[in-house]
Order: sequence, then C-alpha cells, then structure tokens
Amino acid sequence: MRANRLNPFSSLEGSKFLGIFSLLMVICIYTAISSDRFLLAANLENIVHRTALFGILSIGVAFVIVTGGIDLSIGSVVCLTGVMLPFLLTQCNWSVAASLATVLGASAAIGLFHGVMITKMRLQPFVVTLCGLLFYRGAARGITKDRSQGFGLEFTDLRSLATGHIPLFGDVAGDFRLPATTLLLIIIAIIAMVILNRTVFGRYLFAIGGNREAARYSGINVDRFTTSAYVICSTLAGLGGILFVLDINAAQPSDFGNFYELYAIAAAVLGGCSLRGGEGNISGVVVGAAVMVVLTNTINLVHPEYQKIEFAIIGGVILAGVTADALVRRLVASRNRANSS
Amino acid sequence: MTSATAAIFEARGVCKRYGGVHALDDVSLSVRPGEVLAVVGENGAGKSTLMKVLAGVVQPSRGSVLVDGRPTVFAHIHQALSAGVALIHQELNLAPNLDLGANVFLGREPRRLGFISKKAIADQARQHMARVGLEVSPEVRLDSLSLGQQQLVEIAKALSVDARVLIMDEPTSSLSQQEADKLYKVVRQLRERGIAICYISHRLHEVTDLADRVVVLRDGRSVGELSGAQIDRDKIVRMMVGRDISQYYQRTPLAAGGVAITARSLRTSAFPSEELDFSVRSGEIVGLAGLVGAGRTELLTTLFGITPMLGGSLHVDGKPYAPQTAAEAIAAGVVLAPEDRRQCGLLLQKGVRWNLSLASLRKTLSRWGFVRPRAEGKLCTDTIEQLRIKTPDRESPVHTLSGGNQQKVVLGKWLATKPRVLLLDEPTRGIDVGSKSEIYALMHELAGRGVAVLFASSDMEEILGLSDRALVMHHGRITGEVHRDQLSEESVMQLAVAET
Amino acid sequence: MKHPWYHASLKIAPLVVLFLLPTLGCSDSVSESARSDKPRFAYVTNGVASFWNIAAAGAEAAAKDADVDVTVYMPDGLTDQTRSIEDLITRGTDGIAISPIDADNQIGILNKAAAATKLITHDSDAPKSDRLTYVGMDNYKAGLMCGQLVRDALPSGGTVMLFIGRLDQDNAQLRRQGCIDRILGREPDSTRRDDPGVILSSPDGQYEVLGTLTDQFDRAKAKANVEDTLTRHPDIGAMVGLFVYNPPAILEALDRADKTGKVKVIGFDEADITLQAIKDGAVVGTVVQDPFQYGYESIRLLTGLHRGDESILPSTGFIDVPPRVIDNGNLEPFWKTLKEQMATN
Repeated sequence: MRANRLNPFSSLEGSKFLGIFSLLMVICIYTAISSDRFLLAANLENIVHRTALFGILSIGVAFVIVTGGIDLSIGSVVCLTGVMLPFLLTQCNWSVAASLATVLGASAAIGLFHGVMITKMRLQPFVVTLCGLLFYRGAARGITKDRSQGFGLEFTDLRSLATGHIPLFGDVAGDFRLPATTLLLIIIAIIAMVILNRTVFGRYLFAIGGNREAARYSGINVDRFTTSAYVICSTLAGLGGILFVLDINAAQPSDFGNFYELYAIAAAVLGGCSLRGGEGNISGVVVGAAVMVVLTNTINLVHPEYQKIEFAIIGGVILAGVTADALVRRLVASRNRANSS
Repeated sequence: MTSATAAIFEARGVCKRYGGVHALDDVSLSVRPGEVLAVVGENGAGKSTLMKVLAGVVQPSRGSVLVDGRPTVFAHIHQALSAGVALIHQELNLAPNLDLGANVFLGREPRRLGFISKKAIADQARQHMARVGLEVSPEVRLDSLSLGQQQLVEIAKALSVDARVLIMDEPTSSLSQQEADKLYKVVRQLRERGIAICYISHRLHEVTDLADRVVVLRDGRSVGELSGAQIDRDKIVRMMVGRDISQYYQRTPLAAGGVAITARSLRTSAFPSEELDFSVRSGEIVGLAGLVGAGRTELLTTLFGITPMLGGSLHVDGKPYAPQTAAEAIAAGVVLAPEDRRQCGLLLQKGVRWNLSLASLRKTLSRWGFVRPRAEGKLCTDTIEQLRIKTPDRESPVHTLSGGNQQKVVLGKWLATKPRVLLLDEPTRGIDVGSKSEIYALMHELAGRGVAVLFASSDMEEILGLSDRALVMHHGRITGEVHRDQLSEESVMQLAVAET
Repeated sequence: MKHPWYHASLKIAPLVVLFLLPTLGCSDSVSESARSDKPRFAYVTNGVASFWNIAAAGAEAAAKDADVDVTVYMPDGLTDQTRSIEDLITRGTDGIAISPIDADNQIGILNKAAAATKLITHDSDAPKSDRLTYVGMDNYKAGLMCGQLVRDALPSGGTVMLFIGRLDQDNAQLRRQGCIDRILGREPDSTRRDDPGVILSSPDGQYEVLGTLTDQFDRAKAKANVEDTLTRHPDIGAMVGLFVYNPPAILEALDRADKTGKVKVIGFDEADITLQAIKDGAVVGTVVQDPFQYGYESIRLLTGLHRGDESILPSTGFIDVPPRVIDNGNLEPFWKTLKEQMATN
C-alpha cells in the first residue's frame, strides 16, 4: 500500500500521466529529428511561453471538470478580460491596479454567477456556460463598440508580465531564459496540485465529481464547493485573457480567444480528466496543453505545407491519445482482475 | 416432477474465466417446464455469472447451453429472447425517463403503419402489469415509481415476451413483503402454465417456499443439489458457506440507556399531513417496518437533514435538533447508511481510503484545510481491520468490492465520525448471507457501545431477528410499536397493512 | 462549514457592479438613425476590424451629404454574412454595398440580392455575379505594390515569408499572388495561384518566397507563426503582413526575439502600430487602401442608382480607389488625415 503511494506510476492516474507524457516526448523527438531548429533556446522559450498561456486556462477548466461540470465560456471570458484591460487603461484612463483588480474581479464574478445558476437554479453547466460563451462575447463587442483594443506603445512595464523573461538559470541553461508566464504557470500549477491532492477542499471536489449524491450524503456542501470550482475556472480564464492581451498587445472583440475553451477542454481531457467527473491531475493537464502547443510548432517548423490541415492533425492526435488511453486502461483493468484472483 | 418431461433448458459443464479467475468451473444444471429451480450461493459464488451465461449476455469459456436438447449459442441477449429465454437482471435495465408502457415494449413497440401505437402499448402494458399486480397507469414515468414498483415493471416486461424460460436474478431484493408475496404468486402461476423458472435469491425462506429443486454454488462450483423434501434451510446455509451459521440473529438484548433521539409531531415531505412521534434510546436497536411507500425512507432522510422537515420538533441527547443539511446532522451525531448505497453512499470509482475518510476529513483528519495523510491512513487501516473489510488494499476502487464489503465501507465511514444515532435504510439489501451476519454483528456492537440504531427493512426476518422494538409504518403514519417479546410476523404485518 | 474561498468569491460580487459602471460611462450612446422616408442602404463588411470602422465613417459621411440612411453590418464570418443578406432581402432595402467573403460561392445569394435591390460590391469584388459595379482597389495591383516594397527593401535579394489571416477570400488570394509575382519578378497574371506551402524562387535565384502562413484571425496564432518562422529561418530577409493585424504581430515577435530592424517588415493597411513602426524605421512601408473612400463612394453610387441615374456607372465596370504606398516620406500627412477621419466617426 505504501509503495503504491510513493510510486506514482503504479496507479491509474500515474499511468495516464506517463501516457500523455510519452505522447509529448514522441512528438518532441520527432520534431527535433526533423528540424534542427526545434531545440533552439528561442524556440523552447516560445513553446513554454505558449504552453503557459493555454495551460493556465486548462488548469482552470480542470477544476470544473473534476466536479463533473464543464465550462464553455472560457474563450469568451478570455476575450472579455482581453479587451477590457486595454479598454480601461487606455480609454478610461484607470490605474493599472484598479484595472487589473476589476478585470479579475469581473471574471471571478462570472464564475460565481455560473456556480449559482448551476447549483441554485439547477441548470445544466453546459447550458449556463454556453449562454455565457455567447453573452460575454457579445458584451465584449458591445462595450468596445466592436473596436480592436490595444496598448499601442504604452504600458511596457505591465506588458513585461507576459513578455518578460526571468534569468533564473544564469548561464547554466545556455541561452534559455525562462518566460515570466511560464514561472506563473509553474506557481499556479503547484498551488492547484496542492489544492487538489492535499486539501480537504480538493478531496471534496473529487468526491462531488465522483458521486454528487454520495458527497451530499456525507455532509459535503456540494453547492458551495461546486460554485468555488467555477469561480476558480473563470478567474484563471480571466487571468489567461490578461496574459494573452499583454502578450499580443491588442485584442479584437470578435475573434480574440475564439475556441480557446475547446483547446482548454481538450488539454484537460488529454491530461487525464474524465468528463464524467472525479478524475484529473494537474501535471497531466499541463502536459496536455503542451502537446497541443508543440503540435502547431511542429507543423510550422517541419511541415508548413500541412498548415491547412492543422486542425485535422490536432484532432487526430487527440483522438489517438484518448483511444490509446482507453486501451491501456482496459489492459490495466484486466491485469488487475487477473492479479486479484 | 415427472421424469418423462425432458429438460427444456440445460447448461453442461459451463466454465467462465475472467483473466485468471474461474468465475464458473464446470457447472451443470437443467430446468424442466413447470419447474422452479433455485440457484443459491454467497456473493461471488458465481450465480450472476451463471445467469448471464444462460441468458446469452456473456459467452462461456467452455461448456454449452442447450435449449430443447440442442446446443445453442446466444450471440446476444436478443437471440436468447427469441429462443424464449428471458433474464430479469439484478440491476434494473429500464429507462427511467420513459413511461411504463414504453419500458415494457422497449425495442419491440407495437406499430401501426410504421408508427408507434401509443394506445396499443398502453392496453397491452396494462394487461402485463396486472399479471404482476401492479396497478399503475402505463403512462406514468418509470422514475416516479419506487424501486420496488420498478422491479415489478421489469418482471412484467419479461412476462410480455412469452418467455418459456424465465431467469430471475434477485427479483425480490428490493420488494416489500407484500410485493414479494405478489411475486411469489406470479411465479407459482407461471409454473402452473408450464414455464421453466431459474430463480436466484439470497432470501432462503423464499427458496424453501418456492423451489422444486435447489442448486447450491460455492466459489464457482456446484456443491450440491437438493430436491423436494430435502430442501431445508439450515442444510442450504451449510452448503453455501461450508459452515453452520444458523444462529446468525443471535443476540442478547442490552439494557438500553437514556433517550438519544426524540421526534415530536414530526412531519415529512412524503406525507405532510401525518405527524410522527417516537424516540430511540442509546444502545437500542429499533426496526422500522412497513410496506414499500409507507414513508420509512423519507422519515430517515428527514432525520438526516437530506429532505426538509415540515413541522414538529426533534431532540438529540435532549438538545433541539433541526438539520437543514447532512453536514448539520453529522455534526449532531446523526448518520444514515442510505437505501441506495451505489447512488448515495459511495464514491464507486474511488478507493476504500477516500470513502472511509470522507465524512471525517474536515473535523478530525485535517489541519488548516490540509489532509493529514498519516491520520487518514491509520483510520483506514484500523477500520478495514475492525470491520474485516475484504479488499486487496485500501486504494482499491469500492466498485470492485462485494455488496457486503461496500456496506461495511459505508458503515466504516460513519463509525469514524463517532455517531450517536445510526440510521440504516435496508442495511442488507443485495448482500450475501455471510456478510449479512457480519453487518448484524456490527449493529449489535455499536448498540453495545451506546449508539442508538434505527433501521428500516423490508425483510421480515431481519425485523424480527434484530429489533429490540419495531415501529411499524403504514401510509406515513406509525401504526404501532411492538416490543421484542411480542414480535411476530403476524403482529407486524397487521400493523403494516393497517387492517384494523 | 463555511469555506473561506466561498466567502472570498461572495465579496467579489460587488465588483461586477464596479465593472459595469465605468463601461457605461466611457462609451457614448449609440445613435440610432431615426426611421424616415429617406432611402435606406446597407453597407456590409466582411468582418470586424478597425479598417471597417473607417469605411463605416465614410459611408456615414456620404449618407449625411446625400441625406439618406445607411446601416453598417459587420458580420462574423461567411454564414453570418449570408444570413445578413437574406435578412436584408426579406426586410427590403434600397441598396446594398457588400464586401463578399467568398465571392465565387456566394453568387447565388448575391444574385438574389441583385434581383431584389441595387447591389454593388466594395473592397472585394464578385465579378461573376450580377452586381452593378465594384468600388475598390485591384487587390492584385496592391499586391504588386507590396512586392515592390519587398524588392526595394532587399535590393540584393533574400528570403521572404508571407503572413495572412486566411486565404479563402478572393482579395486575400489576389493580394498574396500580386506580392509573390512581383517579388519573383514574374510577368503579372492575376489568375495565377501558387500553393501556400511551396517554396518559390525567382529565376535569377535571388529571391525566395518561403511560404504563406495563415492564422484564422487568431492573433496569438498570428504571433506564433512569426515566432516559429524566426526559429526555422533565423536568417530570413523580410516578412510581409498582408492583413491589418499581421504587421503588428510580426513586430511583436521580432521585438521578443530582439530582431527588430534586422528583418525587413512590409505591411498592409494602416494599424497605428504599423504607422508608428514606419516612423521608427522598424517597418519599411505599408500599402494602404482608402477605406473611407470605399464607404463614401459606395453610398454615393447607391444613392445615384436609387435616383435612377445609371450614367454614374463606370464603363470599366469598376470604380478604382487606388491603393497607396505609405513610407517614411509621406507618413505624416497621411496619419493626420486618418486621425481626422476616425474622429468624425
């Protein structure tokens, strides 16, 4: 039993992580062999930076998926915060602190609203957040009168939050400089892991996703904890939106963040979250996000002629990944059955 | 039984392996028309696997199934059905969101000009349901019925295919005594009409009442067959467990302590106009008897804060108690092992450890919101040992455990909270004989430690064997209270049907 | 049982109100043109962009001058655009000026609109449809101008990568092809189409077009495309951003890679960042359309047609609003006019 806890790869969760990690490695090795540019420090910086941005969204949605819910509004929340931040700073001349607090507060409030609609009004998460997807996109376009919002040439200090690098490794890592966003992702991922795996709160989220009724019958305030998960998800989506716009410098209300909820959900599922709830681990989710990012990098570096069918390639790889996972799982289950005799 | 009648349905040397495990090892049996063959055995003995092989749900690894003496391979349950073999499964195979008629005819709806004929469905469904004594409109949704009524619908569905062989897997496990009696009548009628019936049950008294022959399974093998006058309850139990546990209700009543929980004019959502008054003392085991739909489950969930209390007052240990949520009930020391373990009691995909610690994480197993892994581990090891939970290790998902061990996990979860009042709803449903006695022993032990135990059961033997006192409910009212020395099937039944 | 996280989230709720108030404060109220007997025209764009805001300003200015009503539609993709036209036909309108997203595949709906009302195209043409005329520039010609900027920036040759939102609209294809044809020094032929994934070289071997990367209007992707190109081709000579947001995305990525100025950037359209970069020397030059004139000319034409004046239709079948090259020499006056046009909107 003890050995089981210490060796993460003997558990189902561990084997799933190993699976997605191998997939990432296979793609990386393939790309590294096909292109001598892949392992350049600058390219690796780009990859971990993009992984950080999508990874933060994916960690957020993982919290909701663990409770058995779904959040389809992430892309629109990214858009809303992405256009609101430059809007408040440049059009309304708010201070940086007030703008950040307002934008993050608004995303948390969106999560709270989702949670309350889902738990108190008993609406399905899919429906509530689908309406959110439409609503926040519309709100973003309305507030900005459909105009692209950007920082122009200003706010370079604030923008360094998303564009800066941290000379963390000195010369040890050669030219590689850790992007600030990646450091942020690491911090968020560690906090999320601790919350999910070490706290009562995290255990309750898994319990709710595993069996809502059983959680309720065990004295867990299901509504409250479910709501918290949506607050976490939307807040991280809002943070993601801030980082995206700081990184890119401008956001167009009509298409900023389009489909990002699907990338986030795909990364979470690739990383081992079950949409039935009750399953998921953060390290897998981050690796899942990395897989999607590296795939597009691979296409650009090795096969730019395949850019047309990029979505088909990503979809195919995800499907192959989850199919392999299902097969491995079946194999593990049958071996366990054999062992338990 | 005339030997001239040939077996209509037969299994010869059936083996079934899952991985390296022999779920069935060389089992043979045969049923003749107009015969009830009972198959008994503890959970894990291979009964359910055998039934699945017979009905074509799974394929045997070796051996064959014969219909009318000809070897038959059912590739699918539909082929078994068209050969006249119907399985009534332990888990309900019904669509809760459809109405009764639709459920009875699911997959073979009567059509007119290619359209489903609602009227034909309703008319025919009504006839079939009348045969199992179910008097409900075919147009109500299935999920508006009690579990007991749903089981009857499943039986009606099987009857509607004019099966020649009926395989019934624990058909009465969720029925009240009255509904079970109805079913026995139906089974006897079917036997009269020459239908061969294969009947699995944990309820030995119904086996002894109904069966013409009994096949006893143990560890996937057939350990013996009894017929006619040989059929004897103690003999069966001995064959099943390989030892004698005929005394499994044995208990010495304890001197009960002070009043632990009292209800005054309590009104529940199921019967808002009825008021309930009762109390349970520390160290007392009180049975809650009654027919399905008498309001027992609602009473228990109200005491546990899951369903709202509409009026009256409750006291636990003399202090006012009005739980709004299960959390408040648990804080006051009131816990419930619910009727539907799988739905409401357990995180089936999660390990034993998580399930055992779930209710006491916040209070005793954490510091500053962080789980204390060592305290949690110790609790689990202790509980597994104390309750003799049979599990490969404490991380095994509970869905891999037997029903009895699952129930022990539920009870273990509550023991960790040190409860004052233990509520149990159908504590041994679907649990085999061996585990049953362990659950009973546990209830006794808890009562011995001063816990007030209130349990609802549809199993008359359980009510009679366990209760210090029985409260009998009928249509939302407590129609009477019977003390241990006056407890008898008649005294309870009379109050349960309230024919006064 | 009260969990601290929950309380924190509860305290955030009032912030929503805070968040909504200023947005109301800083956006001026939307003016609804009053319903009247004036002729009503629809000005349909091919998407949402600041480019179209200028065009809308032009359309509205023309409407004011001619005393007509104009409604601007900025559809969200092909489906939305088609639906907008259907709705306009249903509702009835005195004329439509549209920038078709996928002209060849929209012939049906465009002809339906042409039958129901006066239909002209602007910005991107649909020559096979029954539209009365086309207001705009020749995208192929604009592409040639862009290509000339590349040649000028790389007099002794080099490698070039093209970046564009998507290639499934006619104007994008033409613009890209013109650019390629001029870079490679080919004979102009607006019907030529090169595969976006193929590397093309000029006959003298001096210039090489490495490919064309698309981003489906996802700006994070637009930037990633540039970054990956820098990774793959560290010695690239020039980058061309063919949609309005592509030059800023290129600048952003170059800045991150410390390559500003080392790679020649050629732009299209007039994003503020692009213009500023021309001023700073980070962008060689940009080819600008005159969206204000697109809007203005479209509505002027529709008004004339509505009044029965067929003579204003040009014999060439198209009203040329020629593109211009903006570089350091003519930036200041251009930018000033642009700001004025934006201000009137």
